[in-house]
Amino acid sequence: MKRFNPDAMGEKLLRRFAGGTSRRGILARMGAALVAAPVFPLLPVSRAEAAKPDRSPEAKTAFARSAQTTDQTKCNYWRYCAIDGALCTCCGGGIHTCPAGAEPSPVSWVGSCINPDDGKAYMIAYRDCCGKPACGQCNCDNTDRETQLYLPQLNNNVIWCFGTSSMEYHCSTAMMIGAA
Amino acid sequence: MTLERKVSRVVLGSMLAGSLAGLAPLPAIAETVVPEAEEPGVMTMEPPKANWFYVRGGWGSAGSSIFDASTGKMVGMVNTSRDSDLAIDPSGKFYYVAETIWSKVNRGTRQDLISVYDSKTLKLVSEIPTPGRLIVGGFTTNFVLTDDGKTAYDYNFDPASSVNIIDMVKRKFVRAVELPGCAGMILNPGVGFSSLCADGTIATVAIKGATQDITRTEPFFDAAADPIFSNTLYDRKKKQVVMVSYTGLVRTASVGAKVEVSAPFSLQEAGGMKAADVKPLDIAWYPGGMQPIALHRPSGTLWVLMHKGEYWSHKEGAEEIWGINLATRKLIKRIPVEGEPGNIQITQDDAALIMVNGYKGKALIIDSKTGEVKHEIENAGGGLITVVEPM
Repeated sequence: MKRFNPDAMGEKLLRRFAGGTSRRGILARMGAALVAAPVFPLLPVSRAEAAKPDRSPEAKTAFARSAQTTDQTKCNYWRYCAIDGALCTCCGGGIHTCPAGAEPSPVSWVGSCINPDDGKAYMIAYRDCCGKPACGQCNCDNTDRETQLYLPQLNNNVIWCFGTSSMEYHCSTAMMIGAA
Repeated sequence: MTLERKVSRVVLGSMLAGSLAGLAPLPAIAETVVPEAEEPGVMTMEPPKANWFYVRGGWGSAGSSIFDASTGKMVGMVNTSRDSDLAIDPSGKFYYVAETIWSKVNRGTRQDLISVYDSKTLKLVSEIPTPGRLIVGGFTTNFVLTDDGKTAYDYNFDPASSVNIIDMVKRKFVRAVELPGCAGMILNPGVGFSSLCADGTIATVAIKGATQDITRTEPFFDAAADPIFSNTLYDRKKKQVVMVSYTGLVRTASVGAKVEVSAPFSLQEAGGMKAADVKPLDIAWYPGGMQPIALHRPSGTLWVLMHKGEYWSHKEGAEEIWGINLATRKLIKRIPVEGEPGNIQITQDDAALIMVNGYKGKALIIDSKTGEVKHEIENAGGGLITVVEPM
């Protein structure tokens, strides 16, 4: 297809990363992945935000209107607007750290969440912690701007334990990436 | 006690039991008592039936329980491992399970394969190694079989998108087709397959031997603002796919070398209501769940799990089931439902029995014509529901 397609650009980037990375050899290339990971989700997120620039209370989603900034072990903590799974903060981990013995996924899906304290939107990377059985604590499934499998960076069903030594899903963290 | 004495006691006991059994018949009780030691046995199944529901255990759990829709009783279970995908052989001889396992259960060497089970014995017949697949579960469109059952398409994401083509006659992986920006498969007989894409198009992969041509429709939906649920529904007889978006826009598309997408209509407008919006605070009826739509193909009726709420509530369980006549684009039935189900399926026979289930695992079998709950099944499973499709 010849017409300009910003999504395809993002996908090409993703493919370039993934295409040169065999599953068995992936660990050796994690350095490159760590650099690439924060880059490829930018395009679709920017696009989603472009469609929703209004951040007034009336423009906030039901999640954003009830979000809080004090308790990271609750599903309504502001960064969790598109998280799906067990909160690592309830499993012996932290908001951006995995519980002991788990391994953070080098790639992630992302959300664009509004911090109620300053009213601004931030990009959050939901990194799965992998290699241990499902934690089972504090299961949340928030779906602000969450999409389907053809836009995987914004889909929260996929288990993102790619490139880790085990794909077993343990819990999910919510890392701050920056202003959206 | 020495081994010798143990053996002699067992022998003596057996002789005594045998002689007592031979002396006098035991008093008659409700069931006929067989005066012989029983042999262990194994049942066999009937081939897949139109009134069976295959119900996944739910996220993270394995096994697809088979329930007879007319009785509500479980009749067997297919070995679907965690996050695997099930497909039923159109000829009814096999169940195919696309799955991923590790040599040391939760670690070790990853193996992706299609396991082939005999539909009568439910025993493993064969294993077909594949180069990978998306580990997600919960979707009907990631592993599909052509109408003749000879080819399977298995979606892969690692994390680049591709589709593995498998020859189910030779039981061999053939090749992979790269499909960036698209996911899931819509069957496209005689052509190959089609797929929903992030740029709002349907891509069609025309398989030509060892190569393929990929063409796309014009963009017709916004994948970020009002996505179409990945669990699309395909009617093999009409060669038509039915798609529903988060706001409740219904589109059909006829497949072929050129895919033709219909103009959309709104689920809410089909019921005489205002169309739902993407804006916050706009309370409306929205479709929701993991498997939010089911199609009764013989009557062309679309059944949708609906809940009241705001936009971005697309995984919420249902308060009502809506029946939509796709030909007239009218809402023809609203069935209130308990338990906030997130999955719906319907048998493709004249009985048209609906099954819904929720993450807690309780399933309801509902008569779509009357809305009457025919069976309530505890612990049926909280995951995806599959039925035999008419060919």
